[in-house]
Amino acid sequence: MMNKTWLLVKIILKMQYSKAGANHSQIWLLVPIILFSIPFLYLYITITNATVSALYQTLQSVGQESVILGLLFIGLHTILFIMSLVTILNAFFFTEDIKSFIPFPFQPYQLILGKSANPFIYLYITSGFLFIPWFYAYGNVSEAPIHYYLQGVPIFLLVPMVPFTLAAIILMVAMRFINISKNKDRSKVITGILTLAFIIFINVIVRLNTDSQAMLQRLTYLLKEKDGLLIKITNYYPPAFLQTKALTDASTWEGFIYFLMTVVLAVGCFMLFLWIGQRFYIKGMLGSGGVGRKLTLPKKKSAKNVKKQAVWLSYIKTELRIIFRTPTFLMQCVIQSLFGPVFLLIIFIMDSGTQGLATLMNNFSEKQSILVLFLASVVLIGSNATAISSVSRDGKNWFVQFYFPLSMKQILLYKISTAWIINLITITLLLIVGIGLLQLPLTYSLIWLLLMLVANWFTSMLGTYLDFIQPKLNWTDEQEVFKSRLIGLTAICITFGIFGALVLILWNTSILSFILTVFSLLLGLIIAIITIGILFRLKLRQTNSL
Amino acid sequence: MIEITNVQKGFPGNSRAIEDLSLTIPDGKIVGFLGPNGAGKSTTIKMMTGILPIDKGSITLNGIPIDKNSIEAKKTFGYVPDQPDMFLRLKGIEYLNFIGDIYNVPQTIRQERIDTLTKQFQIHTSLQDYIQTYSHGMRQKIIVTGVLLHDPSIWILDEPLTGLDPKSAYTLKDMMRQHADKGNTVFFSSHGLEVVEQLCDMVAIINKGKLLFYGDMKQLHEEYQTDQSLEAVFLELTNDE
Repeated sequence: MMNKTWLLVKIILKMQYSKAGANHSQIWLLVPIILFSIPFLYLYITITNATVSALYQTLQSVGQESVILGLLFIGLHTILFIMSLVTILNAFFFTEDIKSFIPFPFQPYQLILGKSANPFIYLYITSGFLFIPWFYAYGNVSEAPIHYYLQGVPIFLLVPMVPFTLAAIILMVAMRFINISKNKDRSKVITGILTLAFIIFINVIVRLNTDSQAMLQRLTYLLKEKDGLLIKITNYYPPAFLQTKALTDASTWEGFIYFLMTVVLAVGCFMLFLWIGQRFYIKGMLGSGGVGRKLTLPKKKSAKNVKKQAVWLSYIKTELRIIFRTPTFLMQCVIQSLFGPVFLLIIFIMDSGTQGLATLMNNFSEKQSILVLFLASVVLIGSNATAISSVSRDGKNWFVQFYFPLSMKQILLYKISTAWIINLITITLLLIVGIGLLQLPLTYSLIWLLLMLVANWFTSMLGTYLDFIQPKLNWTDEQEVFKSRLIGLTAICITFGIFGALVLILWNTSILSFILTVFSLLLGLIIAIITIGILFRLKLRQTNSL
Repeated sequence: MIEITNVQKGFPGNSRAIEDLSLTIPDGKIVGFLGPNGAGKSTTIKMMTGILPIDKGSITLNGIPIDKNSIEAKKTFGYVPDQPDMFLRLKGIEYLNFIGDIYNVPQTIRQERIDTLTKQFQIHTSLQDYIQTYSHGMRQKIIVTGVLLHDPSIWILDEPLTGLDPKSAYTLKDMMRQHADKGNTVFFSSHGLEVVEQLCDMVAIINKGKLLFYGDMKQLHEEYQTDQSLEAVFLELTNDE
């Protein structure tokens, strides 16, 4: 039985990380990323060490140092729980590959074990990134005994179990009754939006709960009791308490008992997850074949639906229809692009009221503020996923374009236009925020709008170009178009690199007036657009598809 | 008419996927294209339709070279790919309108052809449904309808009968016959030897990128001095042992 499960895990992972059809030159892109991340990692570890050490100095004097690990575990469990919700939904219910395994003689629990492998990899990477430096820093500053480290390793391995199983159980039971099979597309979008809403909600809660007088009073009360803070923050969530105590009291018998309790709890949870999976998973899954409901209109109406349109309009409308009707594309290309402006807005409003940006802008000259706004907005629209998936979205059907009587130039132009149109949503939203909430002057907003419309064309061209030279066409699930690809990052880096440099030069060129600055930005954009145009031509000539 | 002249095509790891292939598919004929899996049928069809570039040689469709004047050449043919799973998020009618726009089919003609073809294929009541909800056969039918919408003189079909129910298969075969009888060209690949034997005026057999036989059934029997079925000749010709 275990052999079969292991076989399933291996095959599912092999399919997920298959290099079939991948371009090996992409691997080279990893080198600069790794090089860039070394100083970042160094900085991160130094800050973690300093934070833990400072917290320890303060809290140890009042006997509350255990809260340092308590905070780590509470934070870790929360993050892993949210991550689990998203990864489990995708892996268990939305990816299409599960259909190919259902006809095989596997037990449901074996299927869910197989499907859990990839989410667990993500959880361990996240957990490792957060846990290891914090755990090591605490051990170091508290001069922890060897037991601390000996118990720390199994605890690290057990950490994701509880949040993962909690999320999985909630979702499996919910899915059993929601019956996603009937509304699969809709539930994909709704859960996606809910996840984003949840992140915003958490952000609002965190911001509402900081710096209040009442909290300080409660704190003083809690400080009088040993582990009072720890007990307070882990009040509603015992696993974090057990894990913290197993480490802080590692050298004592009590600590060892807490450690055993941690093990029993994690294993127990996992067994419960398998048992519930065995009972509910397949029942929640069956019938989720991606088939929507049938809409049959009366015959007469079909005649009205036949209408002739210009090729460009028909093509762009088809592209938009596909994006809006494919849940993954809708989430990545449309809804997530709304997320940026909304999130920014919340941060501004929560932190400093609507006057935030306006006050900020008062510190800058008119010229400086347009430069700041321009750079921030260009990066925001540059991160839109529509352009960087222009070609890849078609997947194996990309070849269809080749037998249409359309030139490749036409097709790419329509695809760039599609990305440009979708980005208009973000730009409109930013404009509403700017004029409506931050009371930016109208002429100022119009100048920004003009710059953005041109910048939008550049980012749409750049993303489409990057996707065109290295498309990901061999996908079986739409998620793969966006996952484990460096193209989005590359697009942002290039955009930020070019316009960051331009903004820096203009910022420091004091002789330039406001109008000349705007004109220089426009000129920069036009040169960038022409450059990408030339790159497109060269690539098309190289592939003989001009 | 399709003219394939000394065409060569290679891939990394298989430098001679197609070797010096020459083939003339005349007007007014249905030509069947046969070969075992991996013989080079799809590669040939992909070069004919402009999906793959040609390494050497030339292919012309009604006298227009596909590699030099691809847009004009593409207007002359309709192609049914072997995989009908495309544009799944569009409704049937939206797909047909899209194809109609791409090939610039006038509104009245479009309306008339959509009505006739979808009724013949019995999918006219499903035009408001998403293609995703269609069965394999229905997807095949909507693709064929799209191809016939702009009334191309050359039909290139890759395994067109796979997944069709007997009635629709019969309809499509009948359409192919009528189209060829009007002096047009029909070129299709198939694994169904009986269909080829029954429907085609000429047969081309390819293996390992080389053309092994091209002619009508009579020539086939003469050349192999046998009254064996096409199946027996095919097996003999493509036997690698």
